[in-house]
Amino acid sequence: MKMNSAFGKQEERAAWLFVLPAAISLALFTFYPMLNALTISFKEYSLINPEAVFVGLANYSGLLSDPKFINSLLHSFHFALVVIPVQTALALGLALLIYRSSWVTGLFRTIYFMPVVIAIGVASTLFKLIYNQDYGLLNSLLGFFGAGPVSFLSDPNLALYGIMLLGVWKSAGFFMIIFVAGLNGIPNDLYEAAEVDGATRAQKFVKITLPLLRRTLTFVIIITTMDALKIFVPVALVTGGGPADSTTTAVYYIYKIAFQQMEMGYGTAAAFILFVIVMCISIVQLRLLRTDVEY
Amino acid sequence: MLRLRKMMIVLLIACFGIALLSACSTKGSGGENAGAGGASQGTSAEPNKGDGKKVEIRYWRHDFAPEVQALQKMIQSFEAANPNITVKMEVIPYGDYETKIRTALAAGNAPDVIGLDGPTLAAYAHQGAVIPLDAYFEADGNKEDIAAPVLASLTYKDQIYAAPLNDASIGMFYNKKLFEKNDIELPSKDPNQAWTWEQVLQAAQKINDPANKVYGIDPGWGLGEGEGSTFVKLPFIWQAGGEILSPDGNEVKGYLDSPESKRALSFFSSLYNEYKVAPKEIPPEAFETGKLGIVVNGPWAISGFATSHPDFKLGEDWDIAPLWKDAKQVTPNGSWNMAITKDSKQPDAAWKFVNWVTGIEGAKFWYQETKNLPARLSTASAIPELTEYPMNIFVEQSSKFAHPRPVTPAYPVITTAISKLFADLGVSGRNVDEAVAEAVTAIDKALEKYR
Repeated sequence: MKMNSAFGKQEERAAWLFVLPAAISLALFTFYPMLNALTISFKEYSLINPEAVFVGLANYSGLLSDPKFINSLLHSFHFALVVIPVQTALALGLALLIYRSSWVTGLFRTIYFMPVVIAIGVASTLFKLIYNQDYGLLNSLLGFFGAGPVSFLSDPNLALYGIMLLGVWKSAGFFMIIFVAGLNGIPNDLYEAAEVDGATRAQKFVKITLPLLRRTLTFVIIITTMDALKIFVPVALVTGGGPADSTTTAVYYIYKIAFQQMEMGYGTAAAFILFVIVMCISIVQLRLLRTDVEY
Repeated sequence: MLRLRKMMIVLLIACFGIALLSACSTKGSGGENAGAGGASQGTSAEPNKGDGKKVEIRYWRHDFAPEVQALQKMIQSFEAANPNITVKMEVIPYGDYETKIRTALAAGNAPDVIGLDGPTLAAYAHQGAVIPLDAYFEADGNKEDIAAPVLASLTYKDQIYAAPLNDASIGMFYNKKLFEKNDIELPSKDPNQAWTWEQVLQAAQKINDPANKVYGIDPGWGLGEGEGSTFVKLPFIWQAGGEILSPDGNEVKGYLDSPESKRALSFFSSLYNEYKVAPKEIPPEAFETGKLGIVVNGPWAISGFATSHPDFKLGEDWDIAPLWKDAKQVTPNGSWNMAITKDSKQPDAAWKFVNWVTGIEGAKFWYQETKNLPARLSTASAIPELTEYPMNIFVEQSSKFAHPRPVTPAYPVITTAISKLFADLGVSGRNVDEAVAEAVTAIDKALEKYR
């Protein structure tokens, strides 16, 4: 439709005015700090002393040869590689169980969604108690079934899995709801037609549900990836990056550098490297998961 | 109709704009103290107040109930003696404390007076975040009364940057009942008769009974991070005859990776991995509830245990012995101090307050209220109980065996590297040489900047 009258111009102006508040706040609270951070990342900048020295790419080259930073990135990727498939499959599974509405599914929806509502700080503190090797609920339960104690807090080989468990428990419910919305959007007549043709349940899932859920799936996977690579709060509260740095993820490392060791420039450079990595991954995912199937 | 809609749009945008602007303006004027902020008040608020030069000193410290209560009393008496100065104390949880101070300093709205932990002093001083106090100390600070090792830990490049609230030392706290149950001879209470590492290990082996959730020893406040954790672990290295840095604070190679230092680290690791007398994960309040035979702790814990576990009695259930020794007897020192920030607009008034709390009379009151090891000699001689058990252990240790932590702006890196090193050895049982090499590289890189 073409707008050529005075009315059209007025509408256009109104549109801009509507965009304005969001644009201003984005510019002020997102882009301006980001630009500032970008300049800081090229400086030797101590947190408590604003007089900084420009050091060019030294922070970036230092980071790329810093084994602690590389390790923290590897921990983040390890976390993401496990959490993305497990959490997505779990969320989809839960959604399939409850997406048709009846009073029972309503109840279960609420139960599965509960962890999402709990504040992450509270959940982390609770999990720290639950994981306690001697008095925690988890090991009491395992002991009841005769299984040995699991030291999620003090075994460097296990600690990251403890954080993963917490992460999946906390977020699966949210993505379940997204999947429920996606599932309910698939027209019922497709299934009816398939049934007439004698399709099995598995065939219906693979040939109808999954392809038509692809948009939802794309959204879920990209958001999960970003969240997973940026994991911070449970690490800070449950393990503090320990034992022996085994749960120090990239964001936690950045926090330690910038605020504990006061190397703001170095930390900001690390944040930008992480930002670029996350952005690249998201772009690749968007391309890969692009779909032509429509309904 | 159209006009009406247009008006609505304009109205809507105006609302958004106002909301946005107000959000900005609170942000601009500096955090939660915007209205009452001391720094801004000194200049602008004078006409509003009737009695002329009333100033407000903002003071931040970390949370620790007994100390906060003592300070509240001291602030009251200070305000009564100095009616034109008010002190606004803000108490911040320990875990967030350093971050909060640092972000406030970065934003240029730090309080006038801050609590400063000994080892971070050099970093703050190097960046000019806190001001030197030498002139004030000369005038009315009674500098000669402060114990020499404490003063050394507060001196960076020949200038004093903080006034000590108290000193600190640690001893070996042991569960008397567990010792008696396992027929272990009790260690001496004489500060000159410290147990050796071997004696401690043997006792821990006898007590250790993981099947019943009773553990031998927690040699250094677990394996987590934090300055407290480093504070109690460093003595192992010094006791073996090792050092962290060269005396001038410029070199780490040849010190942290010396054979003596490595011997200390191997011993620490063996407690966790070879002898398994130290639990990798300690249940909360393990010592107070009789689950742990031996721990390290300081004088502050005496009153702490008395309030948190009144049934767990000193002399009956537990006792204190001097900290163990190896080639040498060494204990750590240094504690929390008060410093004046560069952002303070009224450093003279701030010093008045600092000197009120940390001066000769203040130090005595501080000891009576908190039972922290005094940093002033006059306090130690004025109070008889400091020469009696258990305080005499800490007092004597800090005068004979104290070793300050390295005073260098690179300390924030050192403390993380050291706690990582001890965790590597304790919890992951890593090879000592490899783990030490990694820590040395990290510290060396940080020192490079200050050479």
